[in-house]
Amino acid sequence: MRNIVCGAIVALGLAAAPALAEYPERDIQGIIQWGAGGSTDTVSRSVTPHAEDILGAKVILQNVTGGVGAIGLNQAERADADGYTLLFGAENPLLYKVMGLGQKDYSDFVPINIIARGIPILVARPDAPFDTFPEMVEYITANPGEIRFGSTGPGGLPSVVTAMINEKTPLDVTAVPYDGDGPALTALQGGAIDVMPAVLGAALEPVRAGNLKAIAIFDTEGVEQLPDTPAITDTNPEFADILPWGPFFGIFVKAGTPDDVVAKLTDAYGQAAQNPDFLSMMDGRGFRMLSLTGTEAQDFLDTWQSQTAWILWDGEIAKNSPEDFDIPRP
Amino acid sequence: MDMPPKRRPGELIFNVAIMLASLFLLYSAYGISGFEALSSPGVIPMATTAIMAIAGVFILRDTLRKGRGDQSLRRDILPAVVVVPIVMILGYALLLRPLGFLPTSALFLFILVRFLSRRSWGFCLAVALGTVIVIWAIFRLIFAVLMPQGIVPEGRIVAFITSLF
Amino acid sequence: MDILSNLLMPLLNLELLFLIGAGTFAGIYVGAIPGLSVTMAVSILISFTFSWEVYPALALMIGIYMGGVYGGSRTAILLNIPGAPSAIATALDGFPLAQQGRAGEAIGIVTVVSFIGGFIGIFALGAFAPLLSDFAIGFQPRDFMLLAIMGILLVGSLSGDSLVKGVFAGAFGIAIGAVGMDPLTIQDRFVFGIDELRGGISFVAVMIGLFGVSEALIQMHSIHSPAVRQRVAGIIPSWAKVRKHLPLGLQTSTIGTIVGALPGTGGDIAALMAYDHAKRVTRNPETPFGKGAVEGLVAPETANNAAVGGAFIPMMTLGIPGDAVTAIMIGALFIHGLNPGPMLMIEQPDMFWFIVGSLALANCFMLLFGLTGIRLFVKIVELPRTVLLPVIMVLSIVGAYAINNSLTDVYWMLGFGILGYFMRLYGYPLAPIILGVILSRLLDDNWRRAIISEREDFGAMMMGIFTSPLSLCLFLAVVMILVTNTPWWVRWRARKATGQTVAERQDHD
Repeated sequence: MRNIVCGAIVALGLAAAPALAEYPERDIQGIIQWGAGGSTDTVSRSVTPHAEDILGAKVILQNVTGGVGAIGLNQAERADADGYTLLFGAENPLLYKVMGLGQKDYSDFVPINIIARGIPILVARPDAPFDTFPEMVEYITANPGEIRFGSTGPGGLPSVVTAMINEKTPLDVTAVPYDGDGPALTALQGGAIDVMPAVLGAALEPVRAGNLKAIAIFDTEGVEQLPDTPAITDTNPEFADILPWGPFFGIFVKAGTPDDVVAKLTDAYGQAAQNPDFLSMMDGRGFRMLSLTGTEAQDFLDTWQSQTAWILWDGEIAKNSPEDFDIPRP
Repeated sequence: MDMPPKRRPGELIFNVAIMLASLFLLYSAYGISGFEALSSPGVIPMATTAIMAIAGVFILRDTLRKGRGDQSLRRDILPAVVVVPIVMILGYALLLRPLGFLPTSALFLFILVRFLSRRSWGFCLAVALGTVIVIWAIFRLIFAVLMPQGIVPEGRIVAFITSLF
Repeated sequence: MDILSNLLMPLLNLELLFLIGAGTFAGIYVGAIPGLSVTMAVSILISFTFSWEVYPALALMIGIYMGGVYGGSRTAILLNIPGAPSAIATALDGFPLAQQGRAGEAIGIVTVVSFIGGFIGIFALGAFAPLLSDFAIGFQPRDFMLLAIMGILLVGSLSGDSLVKGVFAGAFGIAIGAVGMDPLTIQDRFVFGIDELRGGISFVAVMIGLFGVSEALIQMHSIHSPAVRQRVAGIIPSWAKVRKHLPLGLQTSTIGTIVGALPGTGGDIAALMAYDHAKRVTRNPETPFGKGAVEGLVAPETANNAAVGGAFIPMMTLGIPGDAVTAIMIGALFIHGLNPGPMLMIEQPDMFWFIVGSLALANCFMLLFGLTGIRLFVKIVELPRTVLLPVIMVLSIVGAYAINNSLTDVYWMLGFGILGYFMRLYGYPLAPIILGVILSRLLDDNWRRAIISEREDFGAMMMGIFTSPLSLCLFLAVVMILVTNTPWWVRWRARKATGQTVAERQDHD
């Protein structure tokens, strides 16, 4: 009992001290939706120190993983809307509703900064009997069911890209699920699967070493890191209407956070995202910088959600129709 | 030469409970995906819970074969030195969220050390506060683990301490 | 020449030398405290060393990693509470020694064999990294599945008195591991509509509950009996003793290196497999297993330290993590502007040799810090338990919370603590539960991948097993373990053994 009294006295003492009215007056908690060592983690941990310098406060980063990121999102949503809890997340929450994973998504949050976008790439094992996208389609049509596509479960990047491909040219492939693109790319190098739609950053190093073969950049333009690999729209222009598309990373606070706090955070992370060290790290990882804020960020989220949710619904991967959640068809 | 093993107090009830829990989990595992395909997510859960249930039957059979022992529940299974900590653990779990880590842990340590050791109040208080402060320093300050805050505004305390330097 | 200068760099640079030393020292305590994990410490260090150069940052992380893997054995021996999952097997024979007043001796031998195991792993990294990574990456889903089955069969040697209770515990563990949203299909399993269960039950929370809280509750029974006086003589093992266990140590180090090098399996599985191996090959231990056999300490501790070097093999050659800690280190390299992958070894070989050198140095520090201060450390056992046990309970709670910053994990930890108390009283072995939880995903995911790869055709999967040399070897190993566990085999070997001793006696006459 006595210690509660002690605590109360300390609290009173602090409250009586001249109030540090300016936000932030104490450490900020940052919740990372994904595990340590993953790309969301890497991006969050490299941008935050620059923002800390501008904010003049520490951001204590914690990985709260599980449920495709839903556990971390719910935890951030339960906290007070005072700007002392940030959410570092990827694209997944925008699909929770249609995938039946939860009732909360980024509409319960305010975007601080949509930092960057990943570029999807189709990679194959080095001895795969095809080199380009048209050759691959031809091979799969001639040998139905033989080719194994790596996947990371319904709603993940590979499932979306595969659904996009199927929408244009239905392919008879076997999808083998892995928990994450790291393990799937490992399996690809070991020959357990044949093709994998992955994010450029994860596939870049093995491709450069010749351990994997790049088939096509799944975007409207090629990338400087792999100048010899064509963009998919070069060989198959029919994909142009659904691209560019890609996973992204963003920083969010709970909806209802005071405007001045949001402005301060937006400014800090906006500047941090322009730091040269950070930019070169992102470039090396094959991410395309966006650094979107305010309404631009909100528009990006809305477009992304409507596009992807409908692709998954049309590809019979989603459990619930986007219509149920008033997500307009693009 | 060996004495046949005796049943301990509560053993039969525990094993029956284990058996029933296994059957319930087996039923729940069947509900995941039924016998849809060899690769469906329910296959391994069904297999393991079935093994649990079968093992449960054997365990129950062995228990029934044993004779009643002369141990007593109060002395050998749930003596006061065990019941009190268990009750306190449950209390801790309930109070952790509303009260926060620091007061709950200090209270827990204070009462439990006092109950177990019967040493002086001052000694117990010193142990409780000392341990909580050391643990808090290691986890909060070095490892940046934010424990549930509750009624003690530790964020402000940390800000206050750092503002001194 | 280049290689040598990079290898020796950590030794010749005072700053790096200090960081590795400090890291190893801190790592021993991080490893020893249940709830503080190396994974956690290394991910904190990413932020902490953000503005540093890459070499000092790596030096500190490597020190913590090496020290932490070893440190888990401390509390396993002294308190029967493994500080880390890879020390679970160590408690089986370590704690009985402590109860006999021989904790110092146990820690001494563990330190020396950890050092030996560590070096074998590092040697394998330095000498055979490309070879071993080619081997490791060739593992197909069916091979991982067979490996998981081999692991599950270890229940036999972890069960103690009652095999059927061990089987129950193992299956229970696999079921616990399946709780939550299945990542392959996003289907809920054993969730019962509770949102918090979606993320699954953290296996470290299960471990802390079963081994921390339930052990504390059990020890409450004897809280007022005096603590065992610990002998402090003979802490540093004699050369003869080390040499006697060297052949076993070499075998288990090999197991540790290979299991460590496989992506997705780490020191925890390696240590349990090594323990089982020791039980299989040791004909006549001086003390029976489970009662304080030295072999039961040598095997897991060589293996989990060898797994450290092993885990770096795929990381350095391919940019693929060998375990959770190397996964975070890869993230750290990214943040420092490096791109770990197959090209790193070609473009920046100095990084590779620097890591080999730092690991070797950390291993030496581990021996040094491990052997000094044992006398002080064993005093923990002599502390009044009326204070020690409540403190252990609070530490368990903080540790469970710290895994994933989640109160749900704390509730699970406490629940498993109370369940574990009753399971212990009624003769259920607890180690198989942890074994099951560790192997659950490996078994479940790879079984499904293997069968999906063959489009649900079980026959085709078996054909795959029989036509691949690696799969066939693993399959035969599984069959062999099964056969040697049958009563017929045990009787046959017992008959053979008595025949032999009779023959030996006749020789002596």
